[in-house]
Amino acid sequence: MMGRVIRVFGGTQESIGRLLIACMAVGFAALLAAGGAAVWTTMRNQAHTDAVNHTYTVKLAIAQTRTLIEQGETARRGYLLTGDPDYRHNYAIAAAQTSPEIDSIAALTADNPVQRANVATLRPLVRNLVAQRGLSIALTAGGRANEAVERFVAEKVARRMYQIRALLMRMGDEESRLLAIRDAEQRAAVRAFYGVLAVAAVLLLMVALLSIATVLRYTRDLANSRDQLRGFADSLEEQVVERTTDLTRANEEVQRFAYIVSHDLRSPLVNVMGFTAELEAATATIAGLIDRAEAEAPGIVTEDMRLAAREDLPEAIGFIRTSTQKMDRLINAILKLSRQGRRVIAPEPLDTAALAKSIRGSLQHLLDDRGAEMIVEEPMVGIVSDRLAVEQILSNLVENAVKYLDPKRPGRIVLRGAREGMRAVFEVEDNGRGIAASDHSRIFDLFRRSGTQDQPGEGIGLAHVRALAYRLGGTIDVASELGRGSTFRVNLPLIYAETKSNRSERDPA
Amino acid sequence: MTDHRSVSIVMIEDDEGHARLIEKNIRRAGILNGINHFTDGTTALDYLFNHEHGPARNGPALVLLDLNLPDMSGTDILAKIKGSPELKRTPVVVLTTTDDKVEIQRCYDLGCNVYITKPVNYESFAQAIRQLGLFLSVIQVPEIEGD
Repeated sequence: MMGRVIRVFGGTQESIGRLLIACMAVGFAALLAAGGAAVWTTMRNQAHTDAVNHTYTVKLAIAQTRTLIEQGETARRGYLLTGDPDYRHNYAIAAAQTSPEIDSIAALTADNPVQRANVATLRPLVRNLVAQRGLSIALTAGGRANEAVERFVAEKVARRMYQIRALLMRMGDEESRLLAIRDAEQRAAVRAFYGVLAVAAVLLLMVALLSIATVLRYTRDLANSRDQLRGFADSLEEQVVERTTDLTRANEEVQRFAYIVSHDLRSPLVNVMGFTAELEAATATIAGLIDRAEAEAPGIVTEDMRLAAREDLPEAIGFIRTSTQKMDRLINAILKLSRQGRRVIAPEPLDTAALAKSIRGSLQHLLDDRGAEMIVEEPMVGIVSDRLAVEQILSNLVENAVKYLDPKRPGRIVLRGAREGMRAVFEVEDNGRGIAASDHSRIFDLFRRSGTQDQPGEGIGLAHVRALAYRLGGTIDVASELGRGSTFRVNLPLIYAETKSNRSERDPA
Repeated sequence: MTDHRSVSIVMIEDDEGHARLIEKNIRRAGILNGINHFTDGTTALDYLFNHEHGPARNGPALVLLDLNLPDMSGTDILAKIKGSPELKRTPVVVLTTTDDKVEIQRCYDLGCNVYITKPVNYESFAQAIRQLGLFLSVIQVPEIEGD
């Protein structure tokens, strides 16, 4: 289920996401290009505007030149007619400005060969004119006004003036032509600018829409996957609860089974034991009979009879007895375990160090007997759990450690408890005879024991300890090396939390 | 007051072997009262309540009851005996393999007079039965009214 969803995410969803990102990238690139184009057209526009302004400046300079020439002519003629020094003064001003003005035109139009040629034509004409005028003014100032007028008539000033005017007109026309071209260029540039702006606006809109679409899509995807995750989490929890319930049910069934079986097994056992006792009593009677027969009529007693009554029967009965007794112990062990699973757990805050010391106290005589010492490492972690169960776990482990010490060295048993996150880990470490690696998991099974069978026991203790640890929501494992010693580690929750499975076991079966 | 010989013993026990062992030990204890043995609950109840020689209609009795019966639970029989006006004073001795505390308490709550666990150790079982025989020999079963 999980895998399928991941495949869906990795398939169509991702390709759509990639497409969207590609579209957005293209959109942003286009937007960037549009921006560049706008800058470029703006610069072009600026250049065109400069060119138009330049043309106007040139036109102004041409008009200015023409005005100055006309003013000079008017002033000269006024001076010739009246001899008024005001005219002469005006002329001087106009004449002084004319040449620089032409220079400025030449400078402004240096890039235009047509205007350069025109300026070249203009300069000698103006120079000539200025020379004529300077002569007229000088003559008049010198009191030779008539000579000046005669020269004026002779020089055909009007024709030269026409030439200058026509030339200046042509120059003006040339500039007007340029102006027209540049105007058109400027308008084209402005149109291009607006076009670029429009394209940029459209692109911007598209990118904006795409971005919004992408964001919306991702938001929706995120929301979807979040919902899905929540769904998974919920269903996972449900599954866990379901499994736990199944487990509990199975566990309860096994316990009920163990209970019923062990119970029903006892019934025939009572008979076996009972009638064995009857047989024993009967055997005693028969043995008495044989004794009497031997004494009174030895001839009728054979060796077989004697053996049967005195050896075979008691031996058979003895074996039946020990076997049934053992069977009874095993059945009782199963019963005890199955009862343990039904016991109600009563959690309370536990001072584990005190608990460990009380265990040491109760085992002191055994420790002394075996010449072993037991060390309780303090401080120990405090937990909230079932006192009886924890006590049984620890005392069983310590008792085992004492039982399986190595006679070659003095026994040393260490009990310690430390906190690990939200768990408490208790360790019972010994320097005893150790457990072979192949037996590490086997020793926790019911009726299974490890190593030399030189100690009394049925192989119940560790199975019982493990059942208790599980019951408290914990685990148990062992690290051991043969001949070196063993360390049993019990991992319990710091605070016993009653799970649903444990609660259901509260109901008395 | 009644002669203890007239007290009949009703044994409800599905296991023939157990029944035989119980009977043997009762006899060894010197109890000679008649023993009526039933291996299932239905016939036992029928005898207790309806039979003309049964305790409900005829004379005092003592019930030895096993809890594991094929057709019903011994506790049901116990509840019926202790719930009936004719039989509620009849002593009931529960003899079973169950040593479960809850079960024992339940039996006493229902009115069982003695509870004996059948131990696998035969000697203690035999002793318990013989002591029961002693108990039977001194027990005074109330006479049924109108008898």
